[in-house]
Amino acid sequence: MQLNYDYIVVGSGATGAIAANALAESGVNVAVLDVGMEDEKYHSLIPNKDFISIRKEDKNQEKYFLGNDFEGIAWDTNRVGSQLTPPRNFLIQLADKFAPFQSDTFKPMESMAKGGLGGGWGLGCYVFSKPELDAVGLNYHEMQEAYQAVVDHIGVSGAQDDASPYCLANLKNVHPASSIENNLGGILTAYNKNKQALNKKNVFVGRTGLAVITKDKESRKALQYKDMDFWSDKDMSAYRSWMTIEQLQSKNNFSYHKNCLVLKFKETESGVQVFVKRTDTAEEQIFTCKKLILSPGVLGTARIVIRSFDYKKEQLPIICNPYCYIPCIQWRMLGKQIEQQKGSFSQLMLFSDEQKNNFDVSMASLYSYRSLLLFKLIKETPLNYADARIIMQYLQSSFTIAGIHHPERPSSTKFIRLKKDDLQFTGDVLTGEYILSAAEEDLNLKREQKIKWALKKLGCQPLKTIYTPHGGSIHYAGTLPFGNNNEKFTISNNGKLGGTKNVFVADGSGFNYLPAKGLTLTLMANAYNVAKKALKNE
Amino acid sequence: MNPYYHEASRITSYLLSMNAQQKEQEVYASAMEKLSISFSAYEQALWKSMMSSTFKMACIDAGLALTDSTNNVRRKLFTMLAILEASPNYTACFLSKEYSKWYFLKLIFVGMRSICRAMIGLLIIKIIKQRCS
Ligand SMILES: Cc1cc2nc3c(=O)[nH]c(=O)nc-3n(C[C@H](O)[C@H](O)[C@H](O)COP(=O)(O)OP(=O)(O)OC[C@H]3O[C@@H](n4cnc5c(N)ncnc54)[C@H](O)[C@@H]3O)c2cc1C
Repeated sequence: MQLNYDYIVVGSGATGAIAANALAESGVNVAVLDVGMEDEKYHSLIPNKDFISIRKEDKNQEKYFLGNDFEGIAWDTNRVGSQLTPPRNFLIQLADKFAPFQSDTFKPMESMAKGGLGGGWGLGCYVFSKPELDAVGLNYHEMQEAYQAVVDHIGVSGAQDDASPYCLANLKNVHPASSIENNLGGILTAYNKNKQALNKKNVFVGRTGLAVITKDKESRKALQYKDMDFWSDKDMSAYRSWMTIEQLQSKNNFSYHKNCLVLKFKETESGVQVFVKRTDTAEEQIFTCKKLILSPGVLGTARIVIRSFDYKKEQLPIICNPYCYIPCIQWRMLGKQIEQQKGSFSQLMLFSDEQKNNFDVSMASLYSYRSLLLFKLIKETPLNYADARIIMQYLQSSFTIAGIHHPERPSSTKFIRLKKDDLQFTGDVLTGEYILSAAEEDLNLKREQKIKWALKKLGCQPLKTIYTPHGGSIHYAGTLPFGNNNEKFTISNNGKLGGTKNVFVADGSGFNYLPAKGLTLTLMANAYNVAKKALKNE
Repeated sequence: MNPYYHEASRITSYLLSMNAQQKEQEVYASAMEKLSISFSAYEQALWKSMMSSTFKMACIDAGLALTDSTNNVRRKLFTMLAILEASPNYTACFLSKEYSKWYFLKLIFVGMRSICRAMIGLLIIKIIKQRCS
């Protein structure tokens, strides 16, 4: 096995895939080191049909809808990532073993899969505004080109409407928005009727920018509206990071090494040594490269960096968007039949821009509910299951779920620590604490009240607000804050890790602020820039 | 006969007023083996009572939904509910459909029935709890 490369990228998720692609396109010799779990159980069982046809015809559907070990019948109510269905469970498989995390107040989700969490993300794409990029610590002008390069690579659809300043801004080559389903279409109509009142309070609604193509793109098919998006990627309409990796695997200057858990790095005269523990044999290996790009996700990078600097830092900051969701009843949809052809994504966004400056905006993604199955909703009612089934079957077409994200900043009560623990596969365990101040909680509550008011104006009656534990938004950042003093445990604006010559960080570790808008498009654009800068050796 | 088949039939007739087919009985049996849901003496007594009639099953389920919604006996019902939903034989009971505008009258009836079931259920649960303590 070849162990020496020009560039090594750690991780194949949203950021690793884009960084590796930018490097490989330039012609240099690149390897991705990844744990790389893959779905071996379910992919072949799921027919390439729409949800309704499958439900009516497939006699073996329980195998993937419920899972081989019935893991899809979750009884634990407080689980982060309940949207990960059995066929997507491989994304977090063995994360407990290879990336142990212990905390009572912070429950992050990490992936050890080929494609990382980028294999199951909700596909919502948002361009950060100038004030947001300034607060994050990224250069506005550099980011514009990078956003466009990423959009051209992954394929994004959307519309020009009131949400555009918050979603896709001035991006080009955007595919037309997918056709809107009845449930969310009704809300959009209500918005257009009540626009004045809502805009007066700085609430704006419009179509989500989605990493879903609506026109064919190479081997990927335009969205087929099968409503199986939580279960499979048969047509590859939705962008998943593993698609980039698989595309790269046909190139001569690219290698993908799975079962490689990177523990730490060490800089030498000639480059960087990368210490790996194999997840299949527990054997240790050393790879070498001229430049190392870290993109194993924010928590993964923190582990590698703390180990590489000999556990010299007590604790690192962390930020994660506070998240809650509100199931609503949309009166006009009561007792209606849901159309056969639809998607499962959030097609509509609501933004509450209190200062009307595209900064510190709160955001609600609006979803209808069907393909995650009715029994999960029935469980949430205070009724006996038989009667609840009758009522929920009637109500299901009228359910709209609003997933609310708030912007987030670091503070002294949001941190992680890496503690040595010989019993673990990695010899250590990450711990952490995540506590919002009373003022932060109060502010978020006010923002939620405003969003509830707007939902009512849109004909949606909020039922209850369900808070997930901190970590539930699955948006993490800020462990190695951007700074320009080349200090250890910081990242300089060219993406280089402070205290190193040839180690770069391409994930969200440097972000000093998290807008409520999903961060992944920005993560990918930053990864693109970091790869370009590593190539130029800036 | 596998005892789980009997449980599957009872639960199906409670949940959907329909008969369980062999496939769903088998899936339920396999789920019970894999999930190995264990009962305390109190839960065992609740379960025995529920299995003795679908009426009691409905009432105890309704009572527990209000006071002890994560009780293990409900987990068994919930597992069967999921199995039925993921079967083409029962799709019509779960997928949305176009309802007549008078359907809300049935919903009012179901809501009232649910309250009555819960009240009776709470009484049965209280008696069983007393017996077990
Ligand atoms: C259900 C869900 C919905 C989401 N929806 C949205 C959304 O709509 N919009 C949005 O913006 N974001 C969304 N996200 C968040 C998004 O998925 C993440 O922000 C993004 O994937 C982070 O990219 P990353 O490259 O930093 O990490 P990941 O994508 O998690 O990739 C990490 C990679 O590193 C590898 N790795 C980890 N540690 C090591 C190690 N030590 N050695 C070797 N390899 C390692 C893993 O195998 C994996 O390949 C969602 C996430 C989930 C789970």
